[in-house]
Amino acid sequence: MVDLEKLKNVARETVSRDDVKYLIGWRQGTYGFRVSPHFVKEPDEAEKLIFSPLCTNNLATYLVLTERLPLLRGEQPDSRKVALMVKGCDSRAVVQQLIEQGINRESVFIIGCPCEGVIDLKKVEEKFSNQPGPVQARWSNGKIVFHLPDGDKEVPKGEVLAAKCLSCRYPNPVITDLMLWEEVQTRGSDEYEDVKELEAKSPQERWLFWEDKFSSCIRCYSCRNVCPMCYCEDCVLDRLNPAWVFRSNNISENTAFQLARAFHLAGRCIECGECERVCPVGIPLTKLNRKLAKEVKEKYEYIPGLDPESKPLQSSYRPDDKEDFIL
Amino acid sequence: MKEQFEPNVVAFLCNWCSYAGADLAGTSRIQYPSNLNVIRVMCSGRVNPLFVINALQQGADGVLISGCHPGDCHYMEGNFYARRRFTLMKELLEYVGVDSRRFNMSWVSASEGSKWKDVVQGVVEKAKEAGPFEQFRRNKINW
Amino acid sequence: MDYKKVSKDKFGDFIAMLGKQKKLYAPQKEGESLKFMPVAAGSQPVLAFPNTTVPPKSVLFPQTETLYRFEQGNTDISLPGEAEEGVLLGVRPCDARAMAIVDSLFSWDVDDPYYLERREKTTLLGLSCLEPGTNCFCSSMGGGPASTEGLDMLLTDLGEAFLLQTLTEKGEKINLSVQELLEEAAEEDVKFAEKLSREAAARITRGINADGIPEKLPEIWESPLWKDFSESCLGCGICTFLCPTCHCFDIQDEMEGFEGRRCRMWDSCMFSEYTLHASGHNPRPSRRERTRNRVNHKYSYFVKNFGKIACVGCGRCINLCPVNIDILDILSQVVKEAI
Repeated sequence: MVDLEKLKNVARETVSRDDVKYLIGWRQGTYGFRVSPHFVKEPDEAEKLIFSPLCTNNLATYLVLTERLPLLRGEQPDSRKVALMVKGCDSRAVVQQLIEQGINRESVFIIGCPCEGVIDLKKVEEKFSNQPGPVQARWSNGKIVFHLPDGDKEVPKGEVLAAKCLSCRYPNPVITDLMLWEEVQTRGSDEYEDVKELEAKSPQERWLFWEDKFSSCIRCYSCRNVCPMCYCEDCVLDRLNPAWVFRSNNISENTAFQLARAFHLAGRCIECGECERVCPVGIPLTKLNRKLAKEVKEKYEYIPGLDPESKPLQSSYRPDDKEDFIL
Repeated sequence: MKEQFEPNVVAFLCNWCSYAGADLAGTSRIQYPSNLNVIRVMCSGRVNPLFVINALQQGADGVLISGCHPGDCHYMEGNFYARRRFTLMKELLEYVGVDSRRFNMSWVSASEGSKWKDVVQGVVEKAKEAGPFEQFRRNKINW
Repeated sequence: MDYKKVSKDKFGDFIAMLGKQKKLYAPQKEGESLKFMPVAAGSQPVLAFPNTTVPPKSVLFPQTETLYRFEQGNTDISLPGEAEEGVLLGVRPCDARAMAIVDSLFSWDVDDPYYLERREKTTLLGLSCLEPGTNCFCSSMGGGPASTEGLDMLLTDLGEAFLLQTLTEKGEKINLSVQELLEEAAEEDVKFAEKLSREAAARITRGINADGIPEKLPEIWESPLWKDFSESCLGCGICTFLCPTCHCFDIQDEMEGFEGRRCRMWDSCMFSEYTLHASGHNPRPSRRERTRNRVNHKYSYFVKNFGKIACVGCGRCINLCPVNIDILDILSQVVKEAI
């Protein structure tokens, strides 16, 4: 059960520690069902922290999104820890970052929030449209309760949960320094039905499907920026010389961009679904990423983001890896 | 008579095996289709998936990546990495609707001149069947 | 003012006739995104929406535009063909006001021939906004659900018919070309339309008093607020690319073989390489500076240069920001911030 008082107390204690820079959690947004990442630096800022079905953001992104500015003369680098609140899926991102040595284990303090599933904003906003004031929500006996201005509304999970949550295999954080409350039951199994559905179509149909989606891409790169696994200091998409993918917006470049992005996540994507959530034009990006996750699982029995001691998929090999298509 | 479509195939050959194998095919006067544009790389493990995407964007109708047989890599393990990488790449390309006949990979050693001929014939034949890949071509779109 | 009416059963013909004379753009779905696209014969545009995902600037100032083509070893360049005469149907009044704002930029110190030619040849047919979205705040930025600035004609949905309010000569030409479908509007119709837009304006719940913000912004330049606003920013281009008034672009040469083109494309001040110097120095090194610049540009610099705020209150940046960075929240905190 979510215990907000405990969460706030833990946050206060954590940020009071000398070796913690700040804590990243969630706070209620400015309107509707939105939630904003909340950076707690002083104990009294912990009051705003929440944990509810609205907390979709994967905060592990902020571990690698921090800008490291050049130090001033005589300035020492800040080596204090960042405390991070994680759901099950978010924790896999942290593990994968550890596997790739993108972050050090000593630089993070992980606070685990076992999670009963978060909402799909589109589904909820369709159900309860036009909410200019902030609306809170909570889990209650397998349902989600929204505190709307005209009274509480109880909704079955199936109607409002994000697709990734309905088939979630890891609702409990897989790595923590501190678990906030007891673990929840694993909900589903994942058979990659959405991927199989598209695989069953002909190549021509698949091309048309993706052409329609990729044409609408505006190349805002929000999918890249929000991704906790996209943290190259020098992204190939920003390169001008050589420009592997041109900046111009057309179906050729957009497809190249999406292929490059998806492929960079092969064997790394932990399926948090943030890319699809943030996409302003609604490209079903998890369908693309999950195809690779499915192949990685079937071909190499590899699931990213579970064991911090494991090696990254693409920088390891087995001499007897399958090679049926190679001439 | 309708002019037959001649595909444009870009081949990335590793310096130590496949390039030498192709060389052997040449010095042995083995005849094979001339649709291939060869790019020599030091190892099949050096081939970046973006090379493949870029080749397709710039006018390739098919792509071939060829390296040493597993276990024979000059750098010990480059082709093992390439194998994982391009197994996944092939799946991804097929998934977005790129004809599976456009993307090929092979192991050709320095002594396999005749295997090289078979590989090229097969790859060109498949690219021919798949036809021109106009819908992904960079300068055909809004240029 | 000249008022006409076109009944809904003749509206299909109205669209078809517009499409015959000029290139007609109207909101249509591409993937999940609603944007202005050429209307193919027989297809129906989407006219029931709070607003399009992509603003109509994407037609007048396309995301990617070829400036000229060239060949290596040849000093001649070839310019793109003349812009086509176009009509945009279903432009929201806020987005039309945005085009008037972008106009002042592209005709400022140097005239931009590409943009101005297209602007000149394009007629904007607006559509009154009778169902404002959650985050609409046009009335705070000097507009309204039936604002006419920047438009050539304004359509208002009366239920059985559309009321056509002709505003400019370009609008008058459209009027003449479809006059066989039009009927005279009665005074009640005009009154009814006014009532509808008044009611719509009353439904706008969010807003801010913008007075004093342009003067206040430079004073809080060093405020710790900017760090707070930008902490959760991902540095993506959603808020700028989909802003109807954002107009920054980059110019790049794209080559293939011996041929190439020089083209310009939307750029975003929220990207780190936007201000990156060739030396490697970046005068806006972090998201704090970039967020501060975005807000200052809209509500302070643009006001200094052109006397108007470069925001029309369409609410897109609030709706689409993945981390709930809310411009109204920022502005209200700016107002409160002590100097």
